[in-house]
Amino acid sequence: MKNEPVDVLIIGAGASGAAIAWSLLETRMRILCLEQGGHLQDKDFPSRRDDYELSRYSYFSVDPNVRGAKEDYPINNSDSCIAPVNWNGVGGSTMNFLGHWPRMKPSDFRAKTLDGVAEDWPIDYATLEPFYEANDRNTGVSGLGGNPAYPDYTPDLPPIPIGTLGQTLAKGFNEKGWHWWPSDVSILSQDHDGRQKCVNAGTCDLGCAAGAKGGTNFTYWPILENAGVELRTHARVAEILVDSDTGFATGVLYFDKDGQLHEQRAEMVVVACNGIGTPRLLLNSKSKAFPDGLANRSGLVGKNLMFHPLTGVAGVFDKPMRGHEGPMACSILSQEFYESDPARGFVRGYGLHSGRSTTPMTFALGGYGIDNPIPWGQEHRRIMDDVYPYLAGLTVVTEDLPEEVNCVTLDPDLKDSDGIPAPKITYRLGENTKKMLKHGEEKAKEVLLAAGAKEVLTKGDDTVWWRAGWHQMGTCRMGHDPETSVVNAWGRSHDVKNLFIVDGSIFVTSAAVNPTSTIQALALYIGDSIKNNFETLFD
Amino acid sequence: MWTKAQSELLNVILDHLIPPRADGSAPGAGALGVAEFLPTATPFAEDPVGTVTAVLDHVSKTAPDFLSQSAAAQVAVLKATEAAVPAPFACLVRLTYMGYYSRPDTRPYVGVGAHPIHPEGYPVPSESAESLAELTAPVRRRGQIYRNA
Ligand SMILES: Cc1cc2nc3c(=O)[nH]c(=O)nc-3n(C[C@H](O)[C@H](O)[C@H](O)COP(=O)(O)OP(=O)(O)OC[C@H]3O[C@@H](n4cnc5c(N)ncnc54)[C@H](O)[C@@H]3O)c2cc1C
Ligand code: SF4
Repeated sequence: MKNEPVDVLIIGAGASGAAIAWSLLETRMRILCLEQGGHLQDKDFPSRRDDYELSRYSYFSVDPNVRGAKEDYPINNSDSCIAPVNWNGVGGSTMNFLGHWPRMKPSDFRAKTLDGVAEDWPIDYATLEPFYEANDRNTGVSGLGGNPAYPDYTPDLPPIPIGTLGQTLAKGFNEKGWHWWPSDVSILSQDHDGRQKCVNAGTCDLGCAAGAKGGTNFTYWPILENAGVELRTHARVAEILVDSDTGFATGVLYFDKDGQLHEQRAEMVVVACNGIGTPRLLLNSKSKAFPDGLANRSGLVGKNLMFHPLTGVAGVFDKPMRGHEGPMACSILSQEFYESDPARGFVRGYGLHSGRSTTPMTFALGGYGIDNPIPWGQEHRRIMDDVYPYLAGLTVVTEDLPEEVNCVTLDPDLKDSDGIPAPKITYRLGENTKKMLKHGEEKAKEVLLAAGAKEVLTKGDDTVWWRAGWHQMGTCRMGHDPETSVVNAWGRSHDVKNLFIVDGSIFVTSAAVNPTSTIQALALYIGDSIKNNFETLFD
Repeated sequence: MWTKAQSELLNVILDHLIPPRADGSAPGAGALGVAEFLPTATPFAEDPVGTVTAVLDHVSKTAPDFLSQSAAAQVAVLKATEAAVPAPFACLVRLTYMGYYSRPDTRPYVGVGAHPIHPEGYPVPSESAESLAELTAPVRRRGQIYRNA
């Protein structure tokens, strides 16, 4: 079935797809977004149910392999020590993300020059700064200005409460003389822009029924749909089509809800399917001109997959930490060990994030991102009564360096519900990361003890959190050189001049911060570059 | 769902997996009725009834007098069962935790609200600007810690 052609076709209605659509609104081009999932209705948010925790282990799991919904694509993770997690629907993974909103730092764009590893980005912090600001305004960001770990900026809204847990940990950091700061969050600390402030429910991964979290289902999409952007849901793109004579993308083939195949033509195609969905789609788009996958003359589509490997350390305190109250991941963040220091025996660095403690069932089943239940029997009772309420934890979130062996390929057997080949992840920890994790664990223990913990609990083995592949980066990286990168400095494919990529797959390095504020700032920057280069856009 | 004999055995096992508090202020998983949750747990395990039955059968076979044994002896039987049929036993443990903590009435035992988490949430006071300024003062005093690039 053929549809009327559009000017701009965006694939994916998540963080980056929404941001670039907003940027291109003013061009008055006809914009269509195809999204494989649907809108989540208010009544379907599991946090409104008495047994809300159960949904984490079935239809609202962060792991698409556990959810197994029609709109999800399965991911073969058998060759990986980290399972990728996501949400496939309007809002993308900002539906179940946790709203932690740190920016990257100036040095993150210069890993090669400063530290001799990976590559430099083709853009710098100063270039992105105005787009960080614009995106923060559109999203609603809470935090405290004056953080000495960043060039100066001040979020629009005051910080969310750091709570008993944050205050306790902050004292530990102060005792050590180490950096910490209230976390920047895309969570409203006050009613804002017609949206309700956060009610401290603590289950941000279950979608935020309050609408206080900066998911694009709450921020960008209502504005975009009002402004006439067409959002076609339950439309799963199987392949991007190219004209073998001109080498230009002509549109896509997609499956609708009933499994019917459609052709949609477009002047320009923008891919925003996240760091695994995007290389999967390009690798599935083979043609005579691109036998190894679309836009893949460099051979780098799917290569250099980066996560943020992490581990956790928890302290048991002598008063209740009330860790289940307040946004799940965000209270305070220490970047004491973020910048490189050769004396530590590794390059680059990591953040120490205060995780609030999770709800009882999730804790009993091993914690967030872990599948290792606590013991049964009298020890179970002791842990739930005497440990769980008194916990305050820190997660060690490390920078992952790009390595070609870590990659996304197509699984020869596994397919989604439309029969499209599914991605396979091959991923292992680098030596540098392992050293960082060890260092981070030691430093986290020191802080917890300095904060007054009477006991410190670690995971007790070398593994990292399993369901923690929430940040997926690097698989179509940007750069000036077509031999060593997939897109140019403003997201345009080196090989297909009317094809853009705007999600985390274009990251050159991962930095050690949650990526979404940068992903969206990049999408706005790419939108701006498209507008600035309009006359010669496809040259 | 469960036969009378199965129920009797299952409830005792469940009370060992999540025991009551010594002072009686929180029930064990058996007394709370988690047995009723188990057959409904199909979204979380492939065959919950078959899995639980495998554990019950193992206990009955290896310790026919289980119900009349002392608590310590029962725990020993369960440990042996865990070693002998690890997968079904692990699944039973997991589902027991789910059944127990998905009930709103159990959350307050560990300090968490019984209510659905939205729309009410929790009242958490914001720190005052002064208290945050005081807490962050040592960090500010150190000055810039990022690299210029
Ligand atoms: C549990 C969890 C917690 C997180 N916490 C944080 C956090 O605190 N801070 C932070 O910065 N980041 C966090 N993240 C990561 C954050 O959600 C992602 O970085 C961000 O959403 C990525 O944006 P994106 O546009 O690349 O992809 P997404 O937002 O995932 O959107 C991609 C969209 O593309 C659609 N799609 C994919 N393939 C196709 C196809 N073939 N056809 C049609 N549609 C398709 C998908 O359905 C999806 O809706 C978290 C993620 C998860 C899962
Ligand atoms: S804690 Fe706040 S941001 Fe998180 S889900 Fe609840 S209301 Fe939303």
